[in-house]
Amino acid sequence: MPHTNGTIDTSQLLKGVLDIAVLAVLAEKDSYGYDVLRRLRESGLEDVGDASVYGTLRRLYQAGALKSYVVPSDEGPHRKYYGLNDRGRRALDQSTETWGSLTRALDQLLNGRSAAHAS
Amino acid sequence: MPASNQSDDVARYAAAVRAALAPLPDAERENLLEDLESHLEEVATESALPLRERLGAPEEYAEELKSAYGAAGVQANPKQSRLIRDRSTALIQGVLGTRAYREIRALLPELRPGWWVLRAYLAVLILAFIFRDGGNLRPIPNPFSSHGLLQIVATVIAIVISVRLGRRGMPAGRVWRGGAVAVNFAIAVLALPVLVSMGTGYSWSPSTDQYLSSVSAGYYPNFTNIYPYSKDGKPLHDVLLYDQDGRPLVPAQSGLITDVPIGADGLPIPNSYPLNQRGPNGDLVLPPRVALPPQRASSPSPSPTPSPTP
Repeated sequence: MPHTNGTIDTSQLLKGVLDIAVLAVLAEKDSYGYDVLRRLRESGLEDVGDASVYGTLRRLYQAGALKSYVVPSDEGPHRKYYGLNDRGRRALDQSTETWGSLTRALDQLLNGRSAAHAS
Repeated sequence: MPASNQSDDVARYAAAVRAALAPLPDAERENLLEDLESHLEEVATESALPLRERLGAPEEYAEELKSAYGAAGVQANPKQSRLIRDRSTALIQGVLGTRAYREIRALLPELRPGWWVLRAYLAVLILAFIFRDGGNLRPIPNPFSSHGLLQIVATVIAIVISVRLGRRGMPAGRVWRGGAVAVNFAIAVLALPVLVSMGTGYSWSPSTDQYLSSVSAGYYPNFTNIYPYSKDGKPLHDVLLYDQDGRPLVPAQSGLITDVPIGADGLPIPNSYPLNQRGPNGDLVLPPRVALPPQRASSPSPSPTPSPTP
């Protein structure tokens, strides 16, 4: 959604990094859809939507980065768990690197700007 | 919220989401929504609030799903998605790109002329099999028999026609094209039983034959063939020989390949002399040169010599 007032919507930023966030959550331990959402929110990504997480899980699964299995549960429906496979782990490694260089570059830009602002 | 209301809520919400995503291609929609219901149920169990209040309108939820699943979500992270895509295409290409597969693929067009020749040979072989008159069908027909000569000439003509047809390429019309494929397929399939029958039933060598157990035969180790002659020196053919016990006289294993005639009952006749034999290299075994003993003058004309018994 375009924002005319010049500020960036957090959800737009989130969208770009949701893949990495979901992969990182699953790297910690296998989870089902709603649990992934909860853990993302717990780690501070409050604005992330349920549909975004579910859609991202399905896409990563379709792309072959995730394994999936069903675990019967006593209360409630059977849960479909997702976890990283080798390809998913490699994708996460790659993304971590990309993310690192991106944030370093942005930090530099932002720090430079704030330093210039200060002087 | 009671359980039944909750599952109703989930079903209604999921149906609305599916309806909103109806324009997507079927396969893609199914991949995306495969476990939507169970996911929504999971969400529903966490709170008593209706889904619409927690997740927003189903249409908005569908829009968000589509953007997270589809290209919109990918754009922000092109490197990773490209990586995954590269890996999967690399995997498929790994299978398709194995050396053996590529070599076979490359070889197929080159083998086409070989098939043109082979199908002509097989077609004539099938015809010869259908119209055979009890004789032996051989991989290479005997050019010294009229049937064999006919078969060879027919094969040569068929090869010329087949290669010309092959070089012209596939016919344009769909019906003709289907017909051409069907004819090729039929030749390949029909040739199988003919080749199998040639392999076992009609060419026979003593060492491997299974019919012999059914014909109780007397085996004799010291000859491979018998050449009968009439008294006046004419070679005899198709002479059936039996030993003192009435068993067919059959030479023991000799390393020669014997073409055994087949009787009207379909069983081989292994004691019809002289045997039609070929050496291990396929050459016909020629009859020996024999010096026939001179006969005394035959009895019908009155004999000038005095009778031994006076």
